[in-house]
Amino acid sequence: MARVRREARIVTRDAAPTPHIAHSAAVGAVSPRDASPAPVPKLELRGIAKTFRTDHGDVEALAPCDLAVREGELVMVVGPSGCGKSTLMSIAAGLEAPTSGEVRVDGRPAGPAGPQRTVVFQRFALFPSETVEGNIAFGLTVAGVARAEREARVAEQLELMGLARFRRAWPHELSGGMQQRVAIARALAVRPEILLMDEPFGALDAQTRTVLQGEISRLRRVMNYTVLFITHSVEEAVYLGDRVVVMSSRPGRIRRDIAIPHDEPWRGLEIEDASTREEFIRYKREIWELIRTEIVRE
Amino acid sequence: MSASPPLAPPSARPRAAVPAALIVGAASIATLVVAWQVVAMAGIVPARVLPTPLDVALRFATLAVETFSGSTLEGHALASLTRWVIGAACAIALGIPLGVALAWLPPLRPVIAPAFELLRFIPPFAWVPIAVLWFGASTTTQALIVFIAAFPACVINAHLGVSLVDPILPRAAAMLGAGGVATLRRVVLPVAAPSIFTGVRIAFSNGWMALVGAELVVGKQGLGFLISQGQINDSVTTIMVGMIAIGALGALIDFGFQRVERAWLPWLAFGAKRAS
Repeated sequence: MARVRREARIVTRDAAPTPHIAHSAAVGAVSPRDASPAPVPKLELRGIAKTFRTDHGDVEALAPCDLAVREGELVMVVGPSGCGKSTLMSIAAGLEAPTSGEVRVDGRPAGPAGPQRTVVFQRFALFPSETVEGNIAFGLTVAGVARAEREARVAEQLELMGLARFRRAWPHELSGGMQQRVAIARALAVRPEILLMDEPFGALDAQTRTVLQGEISRLRRVMNYTVLFITHSVEEAVYLGDRVVVMSSRPGRIRRDIAIPHDEPWRGLEIEDASTREEFIRYKREIWELIRTEIVRE
Repeated sequence: MSASPPLAPPSARPRAAVPAALIVGAASIATLVVAWQVVAMAGIVPARVLPTPLDVALRFATLAVETFSGSTLEGHALASLTRWVIGAACAIALGIPLGVALAWLPPLRPVIAPAFELLRFIPPFAWVPIAVLWFGASTTTQALIVFIAAFPACVINAHLGVSLVDPILPRAAAMLGAGGVATLRRVVLPVAAPSIFTGVRIAFSNGWMALVGAELVVGKQGLGFLISQGQINDSVTTIMVGMIAIGALGALIDFGFQRVERAWLPWLAFGAKRAS
């Protein structure tokens, strides 16, 4: 096992209770701040835990979790189903309160949900009574952004996501892939500091998913968003992530935090090519092994 | 960039095939009238009991210009419509906000729901005697009966519509920075609108039916009153004119309201509904 790890240059460590910084080589090409010794994380989850009250007693969904995401970093969270990944995401977004612990942005308490941290949901969650344009403009409209500015930003997103032809369409007229593009555009239009993606491609067919994964990968090279990305696809996690965080089965806790260097030979390839590379497969196997252990343990 | 399957341009929304529907509708009514004419002319029943459509049409023309029981046909229709509009408007203005509030503000439910559930099972007509004692045989009395008949449908359907809004939508609005009022106005109410509109449609017809019923019992004007006067005067044609006017006006109101609904809810693909 150790030999495999060395060969694949996988940088792993058991999850530490305190926030840590990924291997600098892993983020060198992405983060503008990689040289600073201990920057304050952009997004930090400190001891986040969640217990649900039910009629059959308390259910611990999330054991205390610590997770720090640096500015410009894309952290993928994978884990067996039901491990509390989505709960972690809701808490990070401020849409759900943790039973204990705290969410921090730039070192300060994050407060309630808002356009500083926008979410792309698995089920798209587009507003059915708004057109594509209306959905993308929503956050700007409620923030009272002036019309000229709003239209410019919407046009920018329409262009970026390839939606210009559909600007006046209603959400129900669009395919799932197009709906998710609208949801991504809607989340980006408010210029969030942090983008939270909750299994965004989980409800899409395989081909559409592949295309959107490629686009996220390309978008990342253009824009330097801080992203926390939940997925159940190990392949997607290895392909897109600067780091992959593996969660345990319920109650979810962070099992392993794996940095994926930016100079891997398959970086820049399309996912179907990248996923056939030996180095890629080693990461995949390592992560999948961890998840399998968790599923078996349950 | 796009690899998603192409789709119809947004402008190509399904349009109602008006001519075909119109022809079928006219044929359906014509068949009814012809059957009636045949039965009436067959002489099985005396003309006093079942007049021909032509007799009724003539009576219709007469009532349109001559005063009968204090008013022309238009006068009676206008009296009914006035009461109906007042009662229905009050039911909508109070019922929709109440239904929305019950769904949107959960603490209200245990306070208001029991009283509402108790009151709504008292039939509108059971209110007629007390309404007459309170307000006399006035427009207020009639409008109150309309209100009582129309109110529950507004409340129940508005409540249902808001309760059924997918909770992920308010969450999406919240993460984009919308406050409670903006979320309600821009997300929840539009999504609940089809159910709210259904409630209003039911309220309109319930109110209309209750009104005519109330007019039969009490009143000095209105289409229900016209029918009861027709009975007293032993004039089947008058009764039938009243009945047809009631049916036609009710259908017209409903038709008009459906047009309003389509204009207000453009995102619903009428006739080709797809889950969103």
